[in-house]
Amino acid sequence: MAPFWAGLMALGDPYLILLLICATLGGVVIGALPGLNATTGAALLLPFTLTMEPVAAISILTAIYCSATFAGAITAILINTPGTSASATTCLDGYPMAIRGEAGRALGLAVVSSTIGGVLSVFVLMLSAPLLARAAYSFAPPEYFALTVFGLSMLVSIGGGSPIRNLIAGAVGIFLATVGTDLLTSVKRYTFDVPHLYEGIGFVPVMIGVFGISELIAQATRIHDKRETITMNAIKLPSREDYRRVWKTILRSSGIGTFIGILPAEGATVASMIGYNEAKRWSKNPEEFGKGAPEGIAGSEAANNSATGGAMVPTLALGIPGSPTAAVILAGLLVHGLRPGPTMFTEQANFAFAIFWSMLFVNLLFLVIGLYGAKLFARVTLIPTQILWPSVFMFSVVGAYALDQSMFDVWVALIAGVFGYLMRLFGFSVVPLAIGLILGGMLEQRLGQSMVMLDEQWWLMVTRPICAVFFAATALALFGPLCVGYLKRNRPDSNEASS
Amino acid sequence: MNLHSEKSERLVRWLVPLALILFAVVAIYISTTFKKMPPILKRGIQPSDFPRLICGLIIFLSLLMAWFDPVKIQERVSRQTFLTVALVGMFVLLVQVDLFIALGAFAAALSFAWGERRIMALGLVGLVMPVVIFFIFDLGFRVRFPRGLLTNMWYG
Repeated sequence: MAPFWAGLMALGDPYLILLLICATLGGVVIGALPGLNATTGAALLLPFTLTMEPVAAISILTAIYCSATFAGAITAILINTPGTSASATTCLDGYPMAIRGEAGRALGLAVVSSTIGGVLSVFVLMLSAPLLARAAYSFAPPEYFALTVFGLSMLVSIGGGSPIRNLIAGAVGIFLATVGTDLLTSVKRYTFDVPHLYEGIGFVPVMIGVFGISELIAQATRIHDKRETITMNAIKLPSREDYRRVWKTILRSSGIGTFIGILPAEGATVASMIGYNEAKRWSKNPEEFGKGAPEGIAGSEAANNSATGGAMVPTLALGIPGSPTAAVILAGLLVHGLRPGPTMFTEQANFAFAIFWSMLFVNLLFLVIGLYGAKLFARVTLIPTQILWPSVFMFSVVGAYALDQSMFDVWVALIAGVFGYLMRLFGFSVVPLAIGLILGGMLEQRLGQSMVMLDEQWWLMVTRPICAVFFAATALALFGPLCVGYLKRNRPDSNEASS
Repeated sequence: MNLHSEKSERLVRWLVPLALILFAVVAIYISTTFKKMPPILKRGIQPSDFPRLICGLIIFLSLLMAWFDPVKIQERVSRQTFLTVALVGMFVLLVQVDLFIALGAFAAALSFAWGERRIMALGLVGLVMPVVIFFIFDLGFRVRFPRGLLTNMWYG
């Protein structure tokens, strides 16, 4: 129990509390701004956390993650524009409620559902991450290799894009991770005698480029978008009747969100969609959905916020990111010299529990901010695009430079930005590229270690039970959606219907 | 300027997979120049093995994509998009003079290109923001920026 309390003691540091309050406020602003989201915010902030202690640095990134995920609901409800993709389903019922003069009630429901979802998921994180890590303690390199392959296979369903294109983007990310000096043999690969490339392509500048600068270029086509702002009455808490109506939905969606979050690479967006659909399926009044049903907001918001805690489970326990933002946090752990995985809960248990407690604190903090400050934060959407995005560019460039104080990183960020824009233009998601770049090095290292261990007989991996399970799960993740689609198309009733 | 025509759709369908395959083939070719390690030092796999494996995967997936999942342009590329990319190019050139002159000029020009006409707003993004960012990072985070026309005045 010592790390449990030691982690809580870390929150006694006024400096950390101040940082968490600032990060939560910043996260709410980032989440409320359409176009910016938790992943972009965390990627932009990552270089600035390098001078901090690891606990403060990672706590800030998780604070941005939790608060930005919640804040997407503010603009979803008030201007029918989800601040983050995870809040897209919140628009469906939040905006109709706002139109009929219940913006305060809708925001109140969103913030309470988000807080309950977030807090429950942190408790699940506290309990399950150490258990999962303990289970993974017996893993040898082949099991880790199989686990990383499984984590990468989940990229097929990320971002709602095409599975093949997601896999290509992931493979390109893994390929980029091979640039530099090979850690196992010290052979230089694809460095073209450029000294800056000897240590490989840094994932922080690439993330700043693909999440920040590519979004800036994409925003160029949206500068004339018009948004309607709803005049909001004073925020009021949901009534006791509202709570009675939605408590089951909140608990159900929290469970769904936490589970979806735990799955590698699946994040808050998928969780909110499933949470919303399940809320509708279990509702006594499904016809009200889309017209301003409180359960719709609760189902979506509880699910997307609980996915944040869930996503941190595989990130900390196994070193496999549970969501795009968790991938940025994983990058943060690596640049701070921390090794996520089972050893984190034995050698750095105090650190892990400090992160858990800070996440809990942030979830409670945005309850207060959400209830009393949502009206104020909704005003950030009034910042003109013409001022916001040039500022984002400046922070992107300075952030990329500040990491190693090298202009080479700025060029990498700019190239990654243009490349990321082209990827978006051709229907590729940039998230698999970033995850592939982070996991690529680990994948190769674990493959090499497995080959040494198995005397270069790679097929022996399949004879190891845990590897076999992970490989089977990988096959299921890759081919399951194809098989389901095929079965659906060939069902007798669908054939009759089509004929 | 309109990339959304039928002709460009057809072109993109084959051009993107072809570019990916070409990239992978060149990468495989370059991997033939990597040093080969003797069996005792190779630690399981040769340095060229893993990149080749990934390049093979990229080629296979690109072929699958060309046939089963044709690439389509997702949105119309506007004049502002080309202008934005051109301004990024201008930024790269101006950095040779000074990073913060480049940042200020880029920010003001981008804001103007996107329709901002208020002098105060342009001044805010082109002058005030770069100065604020410079001092936050120089004094707050102890970041030493590259020397240039303006930064030399501060660093001496």
